[in-house]
This record gives sequence, C-alpha cells and structure tokens, in this order.
Amino acid sequence: MSIYLPIAELSVNIILLLSIGGVVGFLSGMFGLGGGFLMTPILIFMGIPTNVAVATSANQIVASSISGTIGYWRQGLVDFKMGGVLLIGSFFGSILGVWIFSRLVVLGQIDTVISILYFALLTSIGLIMLIESSQVIRDRVRRKTVKRKIHYHNWAHKLPFKMKFYKSKLYISAIPPIIIGFVIGILSATMGIGGTFILIPAMIYFLGMPTSKVIGTSLFQIIFVTALVTLLHATTTFAVDAVLAFFLIIASVIGAQLGVLAANKLRGEEIRALLAIIVLGVAVKIALDLLVEPNEIFNITVIRALF
Amino acid sequence: MHFKIFLLIKLFVLFLISPASALVIGSDEEEIYIDANFSGKNLLVFGAFYSDPSQARDDKSDILIEVVGPSEDVVIRKKESFFGFWLNSKSVGFNDVPGFYYLSSTNEITNEFLNKNNIGLLNKKDTQLIDWSALNIDWGNVKNQKEKGTFYDALIRTKESEDVYRKVNGEIQIIDGNLFRSYIEIPNTVPVGQYKVNLYLIIDNKISNEYSYNFMVTRVGIEEAIYSFSKNYPLIYGLISLLIAILIGLSGAEVFKRFRKV
Repeated sequence: MSIYLPIAELSVNIILLLSIGGVVGFLSGMFGLGGGFLMTPILIFMGIPTNVAVATSANQIVASSISGTIGYWRQGLVDFKMGGVLLIGSFFGSILGVWIFSRLVVLGQIDTVISILYFALLTSIGLIMLIESSQVIRDRVRRKTVKRKIHYHNWAHKLPFKMKFYKSKLYISAIPPIIIGFVIGILSATMGIGGTFILIPAMIYFLGMPTSKVIGTSLFQIIFVTALVTLLHATTTFAVDAVLAFFLIIASVIGAQLGVLAANKLRGEEIRALLAIIVLGVAVKIALDLLVEPNEIFNITVIRALF
Repeated sequence: MHFKIFLLIKLFVLFLISPASALVIGSDEEEIYIDANFSGKNLLVFGAFYSDPSQARDDKSDILIEVVGPSEDVVIRKKESFFGFWLNSKSVGFNDVPGFYYLSSTNEITNEFLNKNNIGLLNKKDTQLIDWSALNIDWGNVKNQKEKGTFYDALIRTKESEDVYRKVNGEIQIIDGNLFRSYIEIPNTVPVGQYKVNLYLIIDNKISNEYSYNFMVTRVGIEEAIYSFSKNYPLIYGLISLLIAILIGLSGAEVFKRFRKV
C-alpha cells in the first residue's frame, strides 16, 4: 500500500514510512534525542528530495518536542527564561539558515552541503556515543561511579548583560545563550534537526546549567525553533510536505512513548553503543555517496514549469 | 462510448467533405486526469490516410505523430571530482523545452527530413544537426561546442530515462491499408498543462498534409489540492502543518500519561 506525497511528488509505501517514523521516534524517546539527525538522512536515502526532507523533518520535530517538553514541564524541569533567551538567538539564526538554504538550492549545491554537514555531525555524534558508552560499560565492570562537578565558573560569567536564571540557579551573561541559540537556529533551518545533540552539551559545559534542567529546556526551545523553521520553509522553499509529516508524526509520537517505556526497563549502554554504530553506518553511507563516482554525472532540476 | 461513436461520425463526415488526398484523424481523449493512483495511460490516436476509403496507402506515404507537452525551464548540472568529492560544477539552463515529447512514425524518418521541416528535438545521435538558435539556452561558462553537445545529450538522456521523451517507429498500426491507429503511452511522470498533437502525412519525403489538435493533462484529487494550496497560500499551509504537529504532539503526551497511570 503506497501513498502519494504531494510536495515530494513521489509515492512511498505507507508501512515503510510508519516504520521509519516509529523506529526514529522509539530511539528518540529512549535516548531523549530529537531524532531529526537520523530522520533527515533516512528520508533522503528513500529518494525524498533534500529540501523536502529537511523542511518536513523540522515539522515533525515540533510534534515530538512538544510531547517531550510536557513530560519535563510536569516535573518542573524546564527553565522557561533560559529557553526564551536561547530563542532570541535561534530566531535570527533560523532566518539566516533558511536564507542560506534557499541560496544553496539556487546554486545547486544544497545536496552536497547537506551531505557534508550530516557526515560531520553523524561522525562526531557516533564517535562520542561510542566512546561514552564504552567508558560507562567499562566503569560498570570495574564498579566505579563517576563523580561530576555540578556547578563551575567559566568565561560565561565574565561577559556583560548578566541575567539571573533562578530555575537553573545561574547568574550569567545573556550573550553565550544567544550565540548558542543562533548556531542552533542555523543548523535547524539547514539540516532539519532540533539540535539537541549540540544544545545539551553546550548548555552543560558553556553555560554551566544543571543537567536535570537541560533536556526539558532544550526541548522547550526546540519546539519554537522548529516551528519557525517550518513556517520559513513553507513560505520560502515550499518544501514542507504535510502528508509526509502527518505519517511521520503519528508514528514517531507513538514510537517515542514506547521508547520511554523501554528506556525504563532496558540497560542503556549496550543499546547506546548499537545506536552509535548505526549512526556511524549512516555517516559512512553519506560519505560513499559523495566519494564514489556517480553512474550519471549530469542531473536535472526543473526551475519553472508552465501551467 | 458515446464519445467514440461521435468521433466515428465526425471521421465519416470528414471523409465526405475532405479532398481526395487528406489526413483525417480522431482521438479518444480531450483531457487526461492524473490523480494519486494514476499509473500511466494509453492515449489513442487514430485516423485515415485518404478520404477515399477505397484508396490504399502505398509504400511512399508515411504518418508521423508528434506530441509536445507544456514547456518548462530546466537546469542541467554536471558533477565533477574535487579532491575526491563529486560535486555539482558547471550548469546549463535550457529554457522552454517540452516537458513531454513523443515522436512516432510508420517508417524510420531521417534526421535530415526532421530538420528540414523543423520537427523533432531528439536528434541526439548527431549533435551537428541541433539548431541551437531555435532553443533558448543559458550556456553559463560552457563555451566548447563539444561540451555543449554533452549537456544537450544529458538533457535528452535524463528525459528519456524519465519516460517523458520517446522516439519510436513501427508502433503505428495500419488497418485495411487506409486507416491507422496508435496508442501513445502517457506515463504518470508527465507534467500538467496543454499538450499538442501534430500529425503529418508524408508522401515522397514531403509533407503532404498536416493536422493538429490539443488536449489537457490535469492533476486532480486531494494531493493536488494540497499541492496547489501550499503554493497559493504558503503561510496558511505552514500554519496548518504546524497545528497538526502541535495537536498530535499534545494528544500524544496526554494519551500516554493516561496509559501510564493504568
């Protein structure tokens, strides 16, 4: 059974679509990730045009980050003020990102740039996850517990425009969160990701936020960044496929909930290591597509169709 | 069915009023609707060589059927290797090229004939024969004549692999010496818009008679409605896409909360 995607302009199998949404949702629920970094390349592998894959992923992440935020908000783990400051940067970042994106579409370099960005992102994510999970496994074998510093001072405390973030127990400059938000906005608009993977470590190490508040706050700000990115893409690149997004959202929301359940029952490190290997596999596939000489070195783009 | 009977009557009337050597034709479609389940269709084109039914076609007369789809602007990009990476480099813009092109003949028609009569796009075997001036092309930084040819070949090759450009011969069936019939395959990848069918009766390598008519290809259905809505009202479309995401996201969290309490 297949369905025609009106914006991507191709037919895909519904079961395949739901499985992809479900599996990516499951992994994101299990590990507390956005999942966009896997969704976009998989959609591109399926033959969906790069611009549609990126714009539609952003739309899908809106739904998954809302579900996620509610859970953290109920437990009081969202720092709305910090989220708001991050958003100021993200707002301008995503506008710049969509502008860069549409320029690259005109220049015909969007596929290449997206591939290179994804290769870099997935390789680093994969390696970090692999190293981290193997360390945890090793430490568990040695029965060691790792102690972490909860709060430390760094350069973020020395800049001007200092603000009080009561929820995070921080008194830091507003500049670093705005810069972080700006970078996330660009990445979200060009790659169709929420950016959790960059946002979470940045919030912990650059801003010194307490780990407990980081996931909820990042999810909260991702709702608005991806919502803005969806609107910008819908109005400038016309690449948001509502039908594709609908099926991905349904499957990923269900998948994410099952993922959360599974996370409570399974031991994470081994699965995390497995996910790291999957992520690295996707990165290798992207690299090969760039490095292997294509069968057809010419490609066609229809710029204007007369109706 | 009524439509076909009507066409046969039209054909018969044309037999009566046409001069002795004429090309009379009919077609069974004036509009083709493409929906999500459209998997291609065979367009029937039929007619007669001569108005006098007792006169049979001889070896010297041929039929040429040309179908030209709506025009579009395309860019052909060439990938080149930069430090091992295959990246798009040079590009050529071809403007006003047909989105669909089909050329069918009873016997093989030479390129010379097609060029002399300004018919055909698909003379790709011999790039010398391409009349560049007839095409609206933005060559960019492609200067070399031979390289221009490779870009043109790439355009034709890509369109052929998408089944929207075809050149065939021997697919026209001839019945009783005077009547002809041909099924033209319209794949589901064709662009929408107005299509023109040109029929030529060729006798002794000269066009003796020609006839043209148009038909429309239209997209219909919910998918088409979504597509045109997204182009015409992008902001509302974006907001609706967001609203769907928000509602499913909220209800997902809500349903699961209850589910977890049980």
